Amino acid sequence: MAFYEVYSHPALIRYKTSVCTKATLFLVVVLCLTYIPPLLVAYRSQGFWMKRSTYEEQPVVRFQYQTLLVAATNTQGDYVAWSTFPHLNNMLGANLRIPAVSVREQDQNQDGKLDLLNLQLHLPLKPEEQVYSVQLLLTFSYKLFRMSTVVMQSLAYVQHSSSVPGAKLFISGDLKLQQRTPLPHRGVYNVYNVSVIDGSSPFASAYDLDNIIKSYQNRNLTTVLSCPMPVWTVGRAAGSPFQINAEIRYPVEVISYRPGFWETIKFAWIQYVSVLLIFLWVFERIQRFVFQNQVLTAVPIPVGKPHQS
Amino acid sequence: MAVSAAVFCLLLLFNAATTNENTTSYNLNTTLGDQNVTFDFMENYTTPQPTEFESTSPTPSSTSTEPPQPTEPLPAEPLPTSGRLPTPVTTVDSVCPCDLHESVCDINCCCDRVCAEELSLFTSCSVDRVSGSQQLCSGDVVSYSLRITIDGYSELQASAGEEPNYDILCIQSQNRVGGLSHPPPALPTDSSFDSLFKEFTSFMFGSEERQVSSAELQDSSGYQYGEVMLTADRGVFLLPAAAITADCVDSSPAGFLKDQSSVCSRRVTLQQHCSSLPPLSMNTYTDIQLLAGKNEDAAVVPVQVCSVVLQSVEGTQTELQISDGGDLPPALLDPSLCANVVLKVAYVVKYSPAGDIVNVSVALVLGFVSEAELTLEQEFHITFVQEDGGGGAVHSSGNPGYVVGLPLVSGTRTAEYPLPAWATPVVVLTGIVGSLDPRDTLSLLLSAEQQDCLRGPQQRAPILFAVDSVSGCTLRLEDAANCSLVQQLLLDVLRGPNPPQHVASFGNSLLDSPMDWLPIKNNLNPGEAQSCSIPLSLHLEVQWTQYGSLMNPQAQIVSIKEIIQTNTTSLEVLSAGSSTLSISSSVAFIPVSAAALPGYRATPTIDAKLPFDFFFPFV
Repeated sequence: MAFYEVYSHPALIRYKTSVCTKATLFLVVVLCLTYIPPLLVAYRSQGFWMKRSTYEEQPVVRFQYQTLLVAATNTQGDYVAWSTFPHLNNMLGANLRIPAVSVREQDQNQDGKLDLLNLQLHLPLKPEEQVYSVQLLLTFSYKLFRMSTVVMQSLAYVQHSSSVPGAKLFISGDLKLQQRTPLPHRGVYNVYNVSVIDGSSPFASAYDLDNIIKSYQNRNLTTVLSCPMPVWTVGRAAGSPFQINAEIRYPVEVISYRPGFWETIKFAWIQYVSVLLIFLWVFERIQRFVFQNQVLTAVPIPVGKPHQS
Repeated sequence: MAVSAAVFCLLLLFNAATTNENTTSYNLNTTLGDQNVTFDFMENYTTPQPTEFESTSPTPSSTSTEPPQPTEPLPAEPLPTSGRLPTPVTTVDSVCPCDLHESVCDINCCCDRVCAEELSLFTSCSVDRVSGSQQLCSGDVVSYSLRITIDGYSELQASAGEEPNYDILCIQSQNRVGGLSHPPPALPTDSSFDSLFKEFTSFMFGSEERQVSSAELQDSSGYQYGEVMLTADRGVFLLPAAAITADCVDSSPAGFLKDQSSVCSRRVTLQQHCSSLPPLSMNTYTDIQLLAGKNEDAAVVPVQVCSVVLQSVEGTQTELQISDGGDLPPALLDPSLCANVVLKVAYVVKYSPAGDIVNVSVALVLGFVSEAELTLEQEFHITFVQEDGGGGAVHSSGNPGYVVGLPLVSGTRTAEYPLPAWATPVVVLTGIVGSLDPRDTLSLLLSAEQQDCLRGPQQRAPILFAVDSVSGCTLRLEDAANCSLVQQLLLDVLRGPNPPQHVASFGNSLLDSPMDWLPIKNNLNPGEAQSCSIPLSLHLEVQWTQYGSLMNPQAQIVSIKEIIQTNTTSLEVLSAGSSTLSISSSVAFIPVSAAALPGYRATPTIDAKLPFDFFFPFV
């Protein structure tokens, strides 16, 4: 006749002792050793408090239709310039050269966020002029919504020069976000919602590129036009304008932010509990050994009398 | 379980759906050509398309051909040009995006209905596929292709039908009308046009406001900070400045109370411009009549010439005694020599507390320019001082601690020590003409184009707090023959003509508190030198510390040491065969304050106090 295990259940044995005994002291020590060291382990192994995290979002970018263009027309340093700022145009005097600009912003995947800016600029030149260098400055309105609401005005700056006069400059790049410190996890962040170029100022110093770039680069959040491969086409025909074609994409950005209180606690809790489980298991075995073998004196109460006091 | 049941149902539905494909073929003669152009026609393609011809192919059984109707009733008075939107074209076989000429065949447009005869000219289909929504389980597709017949011609094959979608989660039937369409746009009316316009337009060209920045009528008659100053002929007081390039922009105004200094360049052809270009002549900057206030009837303040300095071609400067109304127009002395060209202009404007201009004076530097064609550099400064008591104000380099980038305050102790008289304090106003001479303060040799230590006027730059810098000059070995003479000359060149011996430890140290002034320690002992040694470098080591709160630390100089390195071997060995030796002059600022570290304000202590009667029965 073969026997097999038809059913099993664990039996509960209670060990009782009074307050001022070694067993009580042992229990306190074990409790401390169970719950405190996991905290230390989790903390000392780095990354316990999450101080920076990232998320992905495609920003809402709009071209602000503010443009500043400087082109050197010979190697001696003569230049022509144009901007959308009336005060600056008035100051430029004979150096003002008004180009023909056409702009189109596209939403390629029809999600309501613009993805691409096409800008074409035709700069008419006099017969004796050639273009050796180009500085182009465009301003954008940049918004993020997912974690903290970021509203700022930002800049794309293109500078290209060549020793050979050009006919065309083609730029295809991404408008990338650069941040020095992480963003807050909520709230409105609009300290940079100010004009990058003060177009209402009548003073020449407001349009000094040094000042503009210096104050812009002081910011925590900036955008840069990442265009690793500008294409400078040489061989301009007499009488034809100098062309700038720009394709600027607004890609999905990975934005780092400082997690909020509950997010920090949540990740710390996960780490703590996962280490705690090991300690619980180890000290459970130690306690069982100690009490089963009566290393410390305690009164075992077997299963049969559960209701005895 | 519910999810898997739903997927199971979907699969069942998908299997039950029979796709009946209706195919129509056109057999037309065309030439060969293949080109892969796919035009995905989404359901939400809502461009109004004239559909005046009947569809010749059998319409495939489509599940989503209902045009989305505008759900809202149209307002009573739509704008005349907007009217009602045309019904969007949704059946794929009537969509032909390349058909751009009405009743004329578009070349290579295979879906153009009027191209029956011109098809023989086609080489490929510019649009070879028009499909509906990709999310439906069986989407309508019309494809156009060209095929070569056996006699060498091509024929057009157009097939319309349904293409099964093998995605598990496709849409079997669509009961939400317009779910895959754009929402019907709101039609502008007289009342809603402005709000719609505001909603959809944010930025555009021509939106920059052309504001008139001339002084508008305000309550106060005086100027306020940053306002342009008016001249008697209703113009604006201009101060040339550099804008987007280094070139001078002459029409830039000067702002009231905005101290400004600018250096800009101007391309000049002397023969042509010397006497005719207004910015080169002194008149342009002196014949200005400013209005004291913004009002029409404000007093007229003429610009007074306080000093004119004439600079030679070599750079030596002499002050001219100029009588009132005297004028020195630029004159062409030689085809390549122009005299009395304006090089520097410095205005000092005195103002009253009410914002009125009281007095304007100008200091000019005129010079000789001796190149036929050159880029001339001009400097323009404007400073504003208060009418009473502002003139003698001493600029300090910090209050109390030094501010980074401001010059060190230095001085020389007079002989009648111990009297607390520290005479000749030298305080440098950065970059302002007419200020105290930077050659008298603690300064650093500035590298000049001539490079020779013993020749030519040496330029010096003041030492700025916390800015480490180095510069130098060269010494030719044949000049070093008379050692003791050269040693003294070089020391003078390195230290400056009138070197101070004390440096203020704070930016605002007062002259009558001698404890605030630190002596410059020196390692050179002139009497000790047995054989004459040439100083090779002068190095100033300034140790400074920060004290005070973390938020507003104050910088204090704790010691300053002058280290002069002299040669120990012969100069020929040092120069390693070449005939010149470089002499350097440098300054280093060493912060000796301990950096602030993050930590607890105080070590946390357990401050648990039991109630005094806690152990009552025992104690």
